[in-house]
Amino acid sequence: MNKVVTINLNGNAYQLEEGGYDALRLYLDGAARRLEGNPDQGEILADIEQAIADKCVAVLGANKTVVGTREIEQIIDEMGPVEDAASETDERESSAAGTATGQTEPGAAASESRAQPPPPPVRRLYKIRDGAMISGVCNGIAAYFGIDPTIVRLVFVLMVFLWGTGILAYIVLALIVPTAGTTAEKAAACGAPFTAQEFIHRAREGYYEGMKTWGDKHAHRKWRREFKREMRGWGRMVQHEMRENACRWQQHWVPRPGPGPGLWITLPILSLLRGLLALLTMFALISLVTTGAVFGLPMPAGVPVWVGVIVLILAYHVVAWPLKALRHAWYYHAAYGPRFAPPLFWLGDTIVWLGFVILLVWLADRYLPHAHEALRNLPPVIHHAVDNVKQWWAAR
Amino acid sequence: MGINEKFTPIRKGLLEFLVLKIIAADQVYVADILRQLRGTEFATREGTLYPLLSKMRREKILDYEWKESDAGPPRKYYELTTKGREQLRETSEYWQKISGTVKDLGQPPAG
Repeated sequence: MNKVVTINLNGNAYQLEEGGYDALRLYLDGAARRLEGNPDQGEILADIEQAIADKCVAVLGANKTVVGTREIEQIIDEMGPVEDAASETDERESSAAGTATGQTEPGAAASESRAQPPPPPVRRLYKIRDGAMISGVCNGIAAYFGIDPTIVRLVFVLMVFLWGTGILAYIVLALIVPTAGTTAEKAAACGAPFTAQEFIHRAREGYYEGMKTWGDKHAHRKWRREFKREMRGWGRMVQHEMRENACRWQQHWVPRPGPGPGLWITLPILSLLRGLLALLTMFALISLVTTGAVFGLPMPAGVPVWVGVIVLILAYHVVAWPLKALRHAWYYHAAYGPRFAPPLFWLGDTIVWLGFVILLVWLADRYLPHAHEALRNLPPVIHHAVDNVKQWWAAR
Repeated sequence: MGINEKFTPIRKGLLEFLVLKIIAADQVYVADILRQLRGTEFATREGTLYPLLSKMRREKILDYEWKESDAGPPRKYYELTTKGREQLRETSEYWQKISGTVKDLGQPPAG
């Protein structure tokens, strides 16, 4: 007995077993992907759905109202993969191979960017574990520079003889260089161009592989997991590329109304508020732990101290979240605006708010004797608090 | 590679020509096209046929109208356009030419 999903095929309802629904969903999604850019995409998909519906009707009857998974798989087999007959001719006809990249760019005004050449393939240093001797460092370096890995290994070995620098360098690299997990990253490691065509190509291949596994349930599940991970990997790459190439692509976007001159002030103020909140929370925490009461409000009887701590932290997050969200919105607005380079901006913002916080603490120290005293007491108080926690942990 | 695999690209290329011939003979539903091809070496599937038909329609060599069928919803009923007939004639002539070449090549000269 399995779950049944009711679907709509071209206007009529059909009941499929859950497994059959999954298979059909994959088939239709793959078809839609392959027909991307085809002007008749909608019509072809409707025809396909109708054909599937006809085949479903053939297996249903008065005594059978649900289409089984096996039957769906057979139907998909009969239908065959949707091949875009138009894709080959369109590729020949399109003047610039780079037209395709224009289509996946963010921003509605990508139409102006159709003539833009595709961004040069970005090469990234990754560790490549396939066929690696120890951890793929040499493989990765070789792929990055486009030379034979054996040569890289020789160089490393030589460096080992030069006072062991090779070993140190290798260990450091093995630790900090990320491993190329998804094929998206592997492609970047070898410098394959990251374009929309490339993505479609890989999605197609991945889908074809998936089709082979339909008989075997385990293999199929495994393939789906990996396929989703791949696609997510590409999604992450897209974001990365976006951030890196934002400046280059920005010129082609409809210029958004800029964030305005008030940004430099608003952002640090928001950060400052968040910083103040953090400070407040810290002080509250300290007072709670040392005196068992938050700034004089005693805990309700019987509630242990650590619950109060957790509640305080949660409260901080709840209040800070809208502040963070605002700040994030401002920041991204600025990042894709016409002027600012994102990393620099973020750095400046951090420095400004840190400065504010330090200034505030110093002022408090100077002008509020209470605060001064509290700050003086801070180190022993922290020790005390830590001891408290240790005792509580031991007494559990 | 078996014989079947070697001829796959040739069969793919000829499919459009054969579909034109089938539709020229009589107006047909998509199911009829698939049925006529089913027993032959050119048997194909909906996943291949639908995109091909839509491409041919974009090239204006085919057209369809919705027609009630005996069972179920109305279906697309395909027929050739004038341009389609023209193209069919040209392709047939070309086919005669190349199949003649294929036949004659490699034969010892007559006499």
